Amino acid sequence: MTTTDQIADVAPTRVSARGLLRALTRSRVTLAGLVITGVLTIVAVLALLGALPHDPLVQDPPNRLLAPSAEYWFGTDQFGRDVFSRVAAGVGNSARIAAVAVAIAAVIGTAAGLVAGFYRGFSDTAIGGVTNILFAFPPLLLALALASVFQRTWFTVAVAIAIVYTPIFVRVTRGPVLSLREIDYVRAAVSTGQSRPAVMLKHVLPNITSIIIVQVTLSLSWAVLTEASLSFLGLGTPPPAPSLGSMIFEARTLVTVAPWTMLAPGLVVVALIAGLNLLGDGLRDRYDRRGRGAR
Amino acid sequence: MSNGLRMTAIGAVVAMSLALAACSDAPRDEAGSGGDAGASEAQPGGDLVIGVTSDPDTLFPWRATQFQAVHLLGNVYGTLTELDENLEVVPGLAESWEVSPDGLTVTFQLREDVTFADGSAFDSEDVVFSLESIRDEATAAVAASTLARVTAVAAPDPSTVELTLSTPDSGLFANLATVNLAILSSDDTEEALNTQPNGTGPFTFEARVPNQSVTLARNDAYWGEPALLDTVEFRVIPDESSIVSAMQSGNVQMAVFDDPLVADTATSPDLTVTETPQLSYHVLQLNARRGPLADVNARLAIQCAIDRQQVLDTAALGEGEVTGPITSPAYKSDPDARPCPTRDLDRAREYLAEAGLPDGFALDTIVSQGEYATSVNEAQNLQAQLAEVGIELTFTPLESGAYVDRWIAADFDAAVALNGGRPEPDGMYGRYFTSDGNLNQVAGYSSPELDELFAQGLQATDEDERKEIYDQVARHLEDNAAWVWLFTSYTYTVTTNTLQGFVPMANGSLQYLRTAGFTG
Amino acid sequence: MLDTLVHNGVVRRVAQSVFTLFGVAVVVFVVLRAIPGDQITANLGTEAAALTPDQRAALESYYGLDQPLLTQFFGWLGNILTGNLGFSARAQTSVADLTLQALPVTFELAVLSILLALVIGIPLGMLSASRPNSARDATGQVVGLAGLSVPAFLLATTLTSVLASRFGFNPNGEPFARFFDDPLLNLQQMLLPSLVLGFGVAAPILRTTRTAVLEVASDDFVRTARAKGVPARRLQIRHVLRNALVPIATMTGLQFGYLLGGAVVVEQIFSIPGIGRQVLLGIQQNEYALVQSTVLVIALAFVLVNLLTDLLYRIIDPRVRAA
Repeated sequence: MTTTDQIADVAPTRVSARGLLRALTRSRVTLAGLVITGVLTIVAVLALLGALPHDPLVQDPPNRLLAPSAEYWFGTDQFGRDVFSRVAAGVGNSARIAAVAVAIAAVIGTAAGLVAGFYRGFSDTAIGGVTNILFAFPPLLLALALASVFQRTWFTVAVAIAIVYTPIFVRVTRGPVLSLREIDYVRAAVSTGQSRPAVMLKHVLPNITSIIIVQVTLSLSWAVLTEASLSFLGLGTPPPAPSLGSMIFEARTLVTVAPWTMLAPGLVVVALIAGLNLLGDGLRDRYDRRGRGAR
Repeated sequence: MSNGLRMTAIGAVVAMSLALAACSDAPRDEAGSGGDAGASEAQPGGDLVIGVTSDPDTLFPWRATQFQAVHLLGNVYGTLTELDENLEVVPGLAESWEVSPDGLTVTFQLREDVTFADGSAFDSEDVVFSLESIRDEATAAVAASTLARVTAVAAPDPSTVELTLSTPDSGLFANLATVNLAILSSDDTEEALNTQPNGTGPFTFEARVPNQSVTLARNDAYWGEPALLDTVEFRVIPDESSIVSAMQSGNVQMAVFDDPLVADTATSPDLTVTETPQLSYHVLQLNARRGPLADVNARLAIQCAIDRQQVLDTAALGEGEVTGPITSPAYKSDPDARPCPTRDLDRAREYLAEAGLPDGFALDTIVSQGEYATSVNEAQNLQAQLAEVGIELTFTPLESGAYVDRWIAADFDAAVALNGGRPEPDGMYGRYFTSDGNLNQVAGYSSPELDELFAQGLQATDEDERKEIYDQVARHLEDNAAWVWLFTSYTYTVTTNTLQGFVPMANGSLQYLRTAGFTG
Repeated sequence: MLDTLVHNGVVRRVAQSVFTLFGVAVVVFVVLRAIPGDQITANLGTEAAALTPDQRAALESYYGLDQPLLTQFFGWLGNILTGNLGFSARAQTSVADLTLQALPVTFELAVLSILLALVIGIPLGMLSASRPNSARDATGQVVGLAGLSVPAFLLATTLTSVLASRFGFNPNGEPFARFFDDPLLNLQQMLLPSLVLGFGVAAPILRTTRTAVLEVASDDFVRTARAKGVPARRLQIRHVLRNALVPIATMTGLQFGYLLGGAVVVEQIFSIPGIGRQVLLGIQQNEYALVQSTVLVIALAFVLVNLLTDLLYRIIDPRVRAA
């Protein structure tokens, strides 16, 4: 729920595609995370493309609250909607929101962190000030307030989550950038007259990719959790689009009569978050500051 | 009682619930019978705990519109007239009343030996003070418009009050029976009452812990039959499921839910669920002053394209009844007395053609999310049905605040709404559909015929005559498709079996706490 | 003394904190006014449409909404500086009183959650670290992963509905008992919520402990001690844990700060009248002063906890001073 435990504490490294692939497949932990996330991502993509056994929105009252069967793999809910299709669509929805939220946070946060760390001075003070303010604002409350301001769509929910998570990216990138700018070849590049933005993008940014990748993975799990919590409070994805959080919320009253309505979205949301955490953990160990890990 | 009925402030958690379901495993009573007749008599004494999802948002009766506040205060304050369980007008603080032959003077004979909770005596001075203050706009009392036809309030003697009216008002007596017109002591101020309510009701205010509980105690000096219960505590448990848990573990003995699914989970041999049809109605409000809807044919096309039973079945899983405009038992409209009593797509297309819009049109619709459980489901089903004749209903669910803002500003073509009903049809619709009604801008429709009918309704004193007039009002509203009335739903009162004598009412009132008690 | 403070950057940190709090004040003020509706419509709902202009004006002046925004902002801020946090019309109490009621509850919940998290997290972390990559390590890691991955609301709802319907155990159905009024009931009511929150916090503490222990264990002086024949268990508790305390303390401090503001969902499900619920209710009711002041109090608590952790850290670990 909190964000502090999810800060990428890794060494700045230049990450190549091949290196990343090796990092992903080398340890069992990462591999497990990769498999779980992979399977759920495929489901999510299929759901977004509409390839589902049933329409997740169509109500079929005569077939309400059916137990899992060959026809309805995870049973049906109180409106006779297919729980499997809804869970799949919910995963798609969660994945979409999490991905967009983290993408926004990563781009803006990294850019701000780069500027603050590289240029120092006023921009550093200003960016640092804003970051501190966002940090001190209770995160769930910030998301809550933002969700009530905008007319809610999946995208505004993503933006709300992104705003909460941007400062973390600022913080994890700024420090390493501070030390990188003192490194000889960066100084040399500046002194040879290359423009500062060019140096920043060509020599500094590539060296913090390890941090960004790990942070992105960890943030994804956090974003999924936040979206679910917001939906649970009635401030997440607007209905009728299924969301894992709102499905759990609706199923609470059904848990004694039809436990599958709760179990299915509950287990899937746990699996999704766990998968992303495993992936993040594995990557963090791989790029660990002290070169330990990589079990 | 509160018009523009609100379930808000129940908390976002509750708000999310879209769920509605039909059948129940719990024993379910006939409406209003209030428990097992064979059980032993309720005994005096005992402490009742009622689970509520939210604190009352005010303790000042003249400005209470929130569900919890209205029904809590209804037990503490007294009104000139009252409603019985069938919503018939019965004497309250006024023992009797007389109307002059021209209908312009109303004389109330007040009950004597009534005291306020603080011990001070009640007399005509308090009535004059209360009614005059409510009429004063600076008080911002929500029921000020009920007294719009009152021109003077006089107290010839301590037990008599005389109202002078500008035009006759047959609806007055039913409309006086709301806590928004509670009689306060002339010595009281709003500031004092905000923390220490002081009324003449069967219970007195005992204590409040903000956001946690409000406790009432029996008023032994009550003018009527004293209540049985020693105390009634309204305990705030923000989450409806947690209320059910608290009932199952015996901490809470009563709760009222709107969501049948929640009531369904209160399955225990120790609990009884009572289903009560409500006066409030689910409706698709149309704004006949905007765009294509200005043409009556366009509105009729919408009416003919909608199968109301289907809306009820899909959005509320059949838990309710299809309705016409007037829901009060004494004036109930025939739900089939309208053009296209059943869905008729051909007729709908004809109306569209007559409106010059054979390809349909767009309908910008506001839908609140969180105010009540079924709103978004209703909108989805309406959208699907209207699409079949080319009418494109567009909506995004709005937060309560955003919805209310647009509703107030009449900034919509159509609004999916759950509006509060009243036992008296003029109180219910006069403010919406007379051209000078204070909600007419929102209602979006008025006509000289309607103005005339409402005026007649106020003058008529004979019940049959009034019924006939309001039938005409209902028919006029339906024939012109001012709005599309959909259905009424139920509340579910869950009580422990040992609690007897409570009668749930169609207006949601908890006034029969004064006859409730525990057996053995 | 002052020199030391300046030298250690404490003065700068305090100035930064003040700026941060001011920023939070601005943000919460602006965000609240961006939410559609005001306290009048929150109170009256659609009935607000029936208000005459004079009635509306009377209510606006009652709620102080007729003031220009800048006056509202600086008026509020000025009041705060004199200790007046505003008034809640809904609760008919001052926000200060409400906060004084709610803050200790949330504080207690946070302390209990942290305690439970430490009780779960540290032993498991040490167990995991005692033999890396073994079965017990895996067990510890799985528990940690579960703590991170099971959403609090899922755990909370499952616990309440199952315990209440199957076992009739539901202390949270009773009226909330303050610790000093009825400690026994209070602790029962706090049990489930702090368990739920503590389980989530245990994960990072477990992880931090594991890492710290592994790291310290590879340090020279521990190796030397081991070579000298100091028994493994004593070594672990004495040396390793003592040295691992710094990162654990830092982590705990941070988690505590977040718990002060982040327990809304859990407070809601378990009917705990804490500070999170106070803000949630305030937002729903558009009670500007209530939300503004409460959020500021939460931010202050967060900033203070961070500042203290920071200071503590400087005291415990002299190397930080140089940085």
